[in-house]
Amino acid sequence: METRELFWGLGASGKLIFYVIGFAALAAFVLGFARNIVKYRRGRPLPAPLDLVAGVRRMVADLATHRGLRRRDRYAGLAHTAIFVGFALLFVGTTTITLEYDILEPLFGVTFWKGNFFLLFGLTLDLAGLALVAGLLLMMVRRVVFALPKLEYLRAYRGETELRPAAKRWKVEDWVFLIALLAIALSGFVQEGVRHAMERPAWGAWEPVGAAIGVLFSATLSQDGIAALRAANWWLHGFAALAFIVALPWWKARHILAVLGSLAARDPLALRRLPRQAEDAPAVGVATVADLSWKDMLDLDACTKCGRCHDACPARASGYPLSPRDLILDLRVHNDAAQGKPQAGVDLIGAVTGSGVIDPETLWSCRTCGACQEICPVGVEHPVKIVQMRRQLVERGELDPLLKTTLDTIANTGNSFGESGRKRAAWTRELDFPVKDIRKETAELLWFVGDYASFDPRNQRVSRTFARLLRAAKQDFALLHEGERTAGNDVRRVGEEGLFESLVEHNLGQMGAAQAFKRIVTTDPHSFNTLKNEYPEFGPTAPVSHYTEVLCELLEAGVLKVKQPLGLRVTFHDPCHLGRLNKRYDAPRRVLELIGCELVEMPRNRDNSFCCGAGGGRIWIPDKPGTSKPSESRVHEAAGLGGIDVFVTCCPKDLTMFEDARKTAGHEKDFVVEDIAELVARAIELESLKLADLPDFAERLTSAVADRVAQAVGARLDAILAARPIALQAAVVPALPVVAEPAAPTISAAADAAAVAAAPAPASPAWQISPVVPVDLPAYEVPPCDGPRILVTVKHVGKLGDEFHFTSDGRGIDSEFFEYQLNEFDDVALEEALQLIEKAGRGEVVVVTVGPAEAEETLRKALAKGAHRGVRVWDDSLVGADPIAVARLLAGVALKEQPSLVIGGVQSSDMANGATGVALARLLGWPRAAVVVATEWDGGERMTVTRELEGGLRHRFSLALPALLTMQTGANTPRYATMRMQKQAKSKPVAEVAAGADDAWASAWVERLAEPPETRATMLNGTPDEVAAQVLQIVREKMGANA
Amino acid sequence: MSGILVVAEHRRGLLADISREAVAAAVEARAAIGGPVRVVVIGDEPARHVDGLNQPGVDEILTVTAGGSEFDAMLYEEAVMAVAAEIQPTLVLVGHSADGMALAPALAVGLGSGFASDVFGFGADEQGIYALRSGFNNKVNMSLRFPAKPVVVLTLRGQTWKPSSDTGSAMVKAFAAVPTPGYSHLEYIEPPASGVDIGKADFIFSIGRGIQDENNVPRFSGLADRIGATLGCSRPVADSGWLPKAHQVGLTGKVAGNCKLYIACGISGAVQHLHGMKHVETIIAVNTDPHAPIFKVASLGVVMDSLAFADALERQLQ
Repeated sequence: METRELFWGLGASGKLIFYVIGFAALAAFVLGFARNIVKYRRGRPLPAPLDLVAGVRRMVADLATHRGLRRRDRYAGLAHTAIFVGFALLFVGTTTITLEYDILEPLFGVTFWKGNFFLLFGLTLDLAGLALVAGLLLMMVRRVVFALPKLEYLRAYRGETELRPAAKRWKVEDWVFLIALLAIALSGFVQEGVRHAMERPAWGAWEPVGAAIGVLFSATLSQDGIAALRAANWWLHGFAALAFIVALPWWKARHILAVLGSLAARDPLALRRLPRQAEDAPAVGVATVADLSWKDMLDLDACTKCGRCHDACPARASGYPLSPRDLILDLRVHNDAAQGKPQAGVDLIGAVTGSGVIDPETLWSCRTCGACQEICPVGVEHPVKIVQMRRQLVERGELDPLLKTTLDTIANTGNSFGESGRKRAAWTRELDFPVKDIRKETAELLWFVGDYASFDPRNQRVSRTFARLLRAAKQDFALLHEGERTAGNDVRRVGEEGLFESLVEHNLGQMGAAQAFKRIVTTDPHSFNTLKNEYPEFGPTAPVSHYTEVLCELLEAGVLKVKQPLGLRVTFHDPCHLGRLNKRYDAPRRVLELIGCELVEMPRNRDNSFCCGAGGGRIWIPDKPGTSKPSESRVHEAAGLGGIDVFVTCCPKDLTMFEDARKTAGHEKDFVVEDIAELVARAIELESLKLADLPDFAERLTSAVADRVAQAVGARLDAILAARPIALQAAVVPALPVVAEPAAPTISAAADAAAVAAAPAPASPAWQISPVVPVDLPAYEVPPCDGPRILVTVKHVGKLGDEFHFTSDGRGIDSEFFEYQLNEFDDVALEEALQLIEKAGRGEVVVVTVGPAEAEETLRKALAKGAHRGVRVWDDSLVGADPIAVARLLAGVALKEQPSLVIGGVQSSDMANGATGVALARLLGWPRAAVVVATEWDGGERMTVTRELEGGLRHRFSLALPALLTMQTGANTPRYATMRMQKQAKSKPVAEVAAGADDAWASAWVERLAEPPETRATMLNGTPDEVAAQVLQIVREKMGANA
Repeated sequence: MSGILVVAEHRRGLLADISREAVAAAVEARAAIGGPVRVVVIGDEPARHVDGLNQPGVDEILTVTAGGSEFDAMLYEEAVMAVAAEIQPTLVLVGHSADGMALAPALAVGLGSGFASDVFGFGADEQGIYALRSGFNNKVNMSLRFPAKPVVVLTLRGQTWKPSSDTGSAMVKAFAAVPTPGYSHLEYIEPPASGVDIGKADFIFSIGRGIQDENNVPRFSGLADRIGATLGCSRPVADSGWLPKAHQVGLTGKVAGNCKLYIACGISGAVQHLHGMKHVETIIAVNTDPHAPIFKVASLGVVMDSLAFADALERQLQ
């Protein structure tokens, strides 16, 4: 019966030596394997439950089909398939032989490696070996000949000119891996060949490669030579194979094992639904490798450096310091040393020029477009790790100042535009029909509009178009109106988890309290993603659709009828959050087809769509000068198609980004950028109603009315305008009719009292000096303090929206028209105080405000930033109190607190009196400095301050303590208080102190409020020269003769 | 006693413009409030500023000699309080400046007076003195009254009143007071000599994509120079690398915080940009599109191509 001898020509001692080495190799493998397992076990549990059955099923399918490896690199896919199949079969073959020889035969006397099985086995393994060799050679050719940039480790995007040591090792490792496998395969064939040459078995044709090599050897070598080669090569092959087993848990070969885990434990919702921040986690996000999950660690080991993510990353392609591959490799190198435990002297997140592993700049470069994760053949989830590390950066307050401002704005106003929440539905006013409010009426569809579609003028046009389309299709839809806040998709991806949660809570609360609706629709893919995938984790929601799906349904059902197929040649950009993340590729394409557009796909489409660069909160972070933008690369790609009429988008951010890019990249003449709804509107001839022109029409109408008004007012307005540059008061006085009789204010009893007290005596009151004194406030608990105490005065300021009404007495504005926040100048004061106390290493910062219960929010924010205690003074009569009245109350607090220093903002951003601080200092009889931009204090009895004067000149001097400083913005960068810190600050003490009802008036009484004259540009007409002369005239009047 | 007292400020030997403007305001209000108009100037050599303050309508200039020339909030307060106690004015006027802000509120507390800051108009009628100021980012104007206050302290917004260039006939009188210094002067630090500072510029000439080509930038830069403006730009211009980021006005650039006159040339007015400049008092917008959003915030508009506008401006400047 056909079979062969396994240990040919090997004596008992030879066999023994082989077994000893073999077991040693196995032991080394087990050791390495166990070490990795121990490391993974140090990882944190998965944030989401794992469906292992589905995961393994998907992994097996991935491995069997090699679909991930074939994508966008068919050559590598083919080569890897050959290596994988060859290697797998040879591995199974070797295991089979071991099974018979070492287990079944010695234990049970069973043998099966003979006869037909043996022959078929031989043929299979011969072909497998051939495949392995072919695959390895293909890979070698690819590395040498193709010179693929994605296989290059030089970080040109970071300005590297020389390979880093680790990268040099990676290069060696890559080649050793290929060569070692090739050596095993070839030495196997040599062994087979010499066997055939010596034994010439009758069944030789079943091992065609072996037989062929045997013939070659017989023809070229003597029998002795063959025998010697057989003996030597046997050991060579054996050693090579055993060495490979040893290498398996280490180096590049590790991916063979790790990939099984990384693929099976993949989160099917990775990035679509980010993990929640565990309450009991030792750190916010990921601060050290110990905060990574075991899956994260598996990901690091699974990476084969194939570079597909490096190729796909829009940040890397635009010169930003992020390559997803290099990020993973850096983490891996670090974790190989750290083994899942934090390492002293190394910061996981920190400047790479210092002791950092991952540079913050790298993390902020990410657009969370998911391109890296999408294309990764081994299931690495890069963006989730990036967001986790961003969470840590946000917690540390290490974020771009503009991003900080934006997050603050979102927390204060519920939108990133800093617009009043009341204006969220203002875009609907230009519609000729009212839009339902879901909070009052039921509807089929709840349209969640999102920030850009609500506030950006260009996108508002799209929103109106979609509203008209819905109306034309007789759809029953409603909005949350002012109840909506930004959905928070990007807030979460920036890493501000607490703020995201509070936004979710708000929006879910609004939807929960709303009238019935069946389905949510949104034009914004970002909102779509979070509403669909993340909101359900927080509470019940309705099914969510993107508007392209709704448009598709309406067109297919014939509810919207195409009257005029457009016949346009268009290209379409898949928004990351719609396409890649949620696999909605077809609805927009179908819509384009139905309205008669010829769709020309860009080379990068569908899952390979190239991000516009706005995602992941990047739209709120300024781009570095000199970097190209992903959106520009994208419009170049579109222009490259040639003859495109329209670049079609279906995402508000895309519309903004690509319209900008079309201009900056010089494609203004090549195509226009339009939203898909606008095309649909044209195709169904919605514009026959002139709706598309409505904004223009409305504008013309407004202009016409304005012209009439201008004519009617005539000479008077002219006079006002002419006088404006010189004497502003002349322009305003007429707008402020002086109240003829003693005002009868109705705001409050206190104001009434003031008015009565104010009833002006015809003659001047007798001249006298009657200094203002501090208010004697009721006692409250002031705990003792070890070290200096700094009192920081903060104001809960109202930012007035563009639309508001005065109260009926004309003396105030209701609080509903304001968005409240911590006065930015006081924020700087607080930061200065915190830094001084931190430097001193002891002492406390006490924040004090004069404000109603809502002002506690501002105190809490200050406490979240690090202030130790808060004091809030209030009486309802204090609404509209003048700055000196406020200073009297603050002085009352200062007398109780006896601080070494009082710091406040130079002014408040609402009333901008610039007076409270200095008045307070005078009430206390203290030295003071206003408009301070720098302080120097060693804790002694004097301090040095620098004031900022007009024209940027600075004055540095010293004054005695206790003293009061009012801070100018720019003196420092206030730290960021995350929503989580704000919640935690709830446990810090805030003393509530009651002011008296007669403390509201000290120095001024508001008689009347008025809106300044409407500013719609007055058009200058005439020839260019006449106009230029007019402009120069204005410049001279306004700026003086030096112009 | 009655009348108006203006507190003059000066720095490094130069009288502040805002003090001359305050004097002009006092003279203008003299009829309504009642004279005399007095000015107090404090410093080591107060007499050197007398000429600049001596506008027609000023009755008396009081000089207080102090140890140093630098502004010192506590010293000024003590000196002005002493003067006020002596002359008993109805109205005290201080410039709304860095120094004025450090002084005026303390005077109001010390005198127990009426007080308003950053005032752009004031006067008196049968109900007494009123003042006009604005709040909420200039979205609201308000009139204030100071009932039952025998004296009112106001800080005045700069560049609102026009000082007279004529010389008046004020009496100059040394006021005997020896105020105590509160500050120990160390040094003045000059602002960086070069570089653009959008935040501080009072006149900005800003360019947008409407200038069409990077090669046109030097031309607009030259124009800005000639009319004495700081060159600003919109986000696309900075993003294209046509101008350094420091020039960018807007949400991601700088806010034109001190700007009084803003010329937007070839800027359509994206929200981004408006954020940085829509508050500016006088905005002149030049754009080809009559419906560009920039015209909604502009006070004056010109529908014209930016390059044509530049041509015309250059011709006018010759």
